[in-house]
Amino acid sequence: MDPWLLITIILGFAMAWAIGANDAANSMSTAVGARAITPKQAVVIAGILEFTGAYFFGKSVTETIRKGILDPTRITDPTVLVYGSIAALLAATIWLIIATKFGLPVSTTHSIIGGIVGYGMVYAGTAIVNWGKMGQVVLSWILSPIIGAIMAYFIFKALTKSIFERKNPVRSARLWSPFWIGLAFVVIGTMFYIKVLHGKNLGTGVVLYGIPAGIAVFFITYALIKLRFPISDPLIGVESIFRRVQVVTSGYVALAHGANDVANAIGPVAAVYAVASMGIAGMKVPVPRWILALGGLGIAVGVATYGYRVMETVGKRITELTNTRGFTIDFSAATVVLIASWLGLPISTTHVVVGAVIGIGLARGVKAINKDIVRDIIISWFVTVPVAGLISAVIFKALMLAG
Amino acid sequence: MQVWNKLFAKSPFKPLIKHSEVVLNTVETLEKALRAWERGDCEEMKRLAVEVDRLEDVADRIKEEIRDSLSSKLMMAVAREDVLIYLHMQDKVADAAEDTAKWLLIKRPGTVPDEVKSLIIQMGVESIKAAKLVHEAIVQMDRVIESGFAEKEIEEEYRIIHEIESVESKIDGLDTELMRKVLAMDGELSWGDGFCILNIARTLSNISDKAKDAAERIRLMMNK
Repeated sequence: MDPWLLITIILGFAMAWAIGANDAANSMSTAVGARAITPKQAVVIAGILEFTGAYFFGKSVTETIRKGILDPTRITDPTVLVYGSIAALLAATIWLIIATKFGLPVSTTHSIIGGIVGYGMVYAGTAIVNWGKMGQVVLSWILSPIIGAIMAYFIFKALTKSIFERKNPVRSARLWSPFWIGLAFVVIGTMFYIKVLHGKNLGTGVVLYGIPAGIAVFFITYALIKLRFPISDPLIGVESIFRRVQVVTSGYVALAHGANDVANAIGPVAAVYAVASMGIAGMKVPVPRWILALGGLGIAVGVATYGYRVMETVGKRITELTNTRGFTIDFSAATVVLIASWLGLPISTTHVVVGAVIGIGLARGVKAINKDIVRDIIISWFVTVPVAGLISAVIFKALMLAG
Repeated sequence: MQVWNKLFAKSPFKPLIKHSEVVLNTVETLEKALRAWERGDCEEMKRLAVEVDRLEDVADRIKEEIRDSLSSKLMMAVAREDVLIYLHMQDKVADAAEDTAKWLLIKRPGTVPDEVKSLIIQMGVESIKAAKLVHEAIVQMDRVIESGFAEKEIEEEYRIIHEIESVESKIDGLDTELMRKVLAMDGELSWGDGFCILNIARTLSNISDKAKDAAERIRLMMNK
C-alpha cells in the first residue's frame, strides 16, 4: 500500500476519533443530561448508530467537501492532492485541540473546510477556490443554527399545545409522542431510499418508504409506551413518557450525526485513495464503502474512549433539562442535520444543537441559558476557517518543500 | 470546557423555592413566638424571637446567592428584573417577620387584654397562611414554566394569587379592628404597651403586604 495513503488513513481515523470524542458526545448529551439514558447506554447507542449513519447515509457530503470547494481541474499534480489532504486533516485536528482548550464551540466541519481552502490557496492562489460554493457553504453555517432554533421553537410550541394544554396531558403524550417518533422515521425511511437504494425521486421515497416506515413505527411505539405507575402529577407523567421517547430520538441524533460528520474525516482519505488507486486527481470516484466504515468505526471508538467521559460530566451537571425539552432538541437538530446532509451541505451538528436549545429558550421553555454561547458560536464562525486554513497552508508548504 | 456545561445555566427557581421555604419557616417561628407571648412565657418568646432573627439572616444569604447567580448574560423564561424584584419582595416577608420579633424583644409585655392578644394571634396565623401561599405560588410558577405556560397551570397560579390577596385583605381588617380596640382602651393599657402592640400589628400586617407584592410580581412573570 502507498505509504501516503496509509498516513492519510491513520490521520483520517484520528480525525474521526476526535469527532466521536467531542461532537458525538455533544450531540448525545441532551439525552444524557435529561437522564433519559446513562453514559454507558449512550456509548452503545452512539457506537452502533453513528457507524450506521456514517456507513449508509454518509456519501454525498463527502463529495461536496472534496469537489465543491476547490476546483479539481486546477490540481494537475496528484501529489498536491495527497499532501493537501494530509495538511487539511492535520490542520483541522490541531485547530480542534486549540479551540477545545479555549472552550469555543468549534465545528469539525468548518475546520476541515478551512484546511482544504488553506492548502488550495497556497497551491494555486485564490482562483482555485470556488467562491460561489464557499459562499453557499458559509451561508449554510449561519443559517443552520437559526433553522435549528426556528424548528425547535415551533416543535416546542406544538408540544405545548398538543400535550400540556390538554385536559389529560398524559393521554395526549401517549398519542402524540409516537407521532413524533413516526415523523422521525418518515425522514429516516426517505433517507434510506435515497442514500442506500440510490433512489432519485424524493416523492417516491416519501410515499413508498418514509410514510410506511413512519406509520409502522407509530403503531409499534404506541403499543410500547405504557405507564405502569399511577400518575398523580400530569407533568411528571408526560416527562416520564418522553424519557422513553428520548431513548429513540437520541439514536436519531447519533444516526444524523454519523451521516453528516463522517465526511469530515474521510473526505480527504477518499481523495488520497482516488490518487493512489487511479493515479489521477479530480476524477469523480465513488467513496469506497470501507472508507466510510473506517470513519464510522473511528467515531464509534472516539465515543467509547473519550466521549464517554465527556458525557459523564455532562450527565452530572445538566439537571435543568427535562425530557420534553431534550426531545425537542434531539428531534429538531437531527432532522435539520439529516436534511442538510441530504442536500450536501456540510453544516455543524454542534451548532444546530445549540441553535435548537436557543429556540426552546425563545419559546420560554428553558429556565436559564447562558447567552455567551451565541457570541462564542459567532466567534467560531469567523475564526475557524482562517485559522485552520493558515495551519493547513503552513503544513502543506512544508510538505511540498520536503517532498 | 464542554459546550453543554457552558450552555445551561442554573435555573433560579430551585433557589427561589428554597428561599421561600426559609421565609415560611421564619414566619412560622414568629407565630410560635407570638403564642409564647400570649401565654406570657417570656423566656420561650425570647428564644423564638432570636430564632426568627437567625432565620431571616439565612434567607438574606440565599437572596445574595441568587442575586449573584443572576447574570445579565442569562436568557430566561421570565424577565430577570421580575425575578429580582420578586426575590426582593419575598425577602421582605421575612424582614417584616423580623421586625415583629424585634418589637417582641424590645419591651417586656405588661398586662394586655385577652381580646387584643387573640387578635394578634389571629393575625399571626393568617400571616403563616400568606407565607405558605407565597411558597405555593413560586412552586406553581416553576410548574407554569415546565408546562410551557399552559393555560391550566396559569389558572392555578391565579387562584393562588387571589388567595394571597384575600388573606392580605383579611389581615388588613384585623389590623384595623385591633387599632380601634387599642385606641379605645384608654385607661386599661399603658402608653408603652399600646404603642408596642400597635407596632406589632403594623409589622404583622406588613408580612402579608409584602406577600401580596410578591404575588403581583408573579402575575407579571406570567404575562406573555
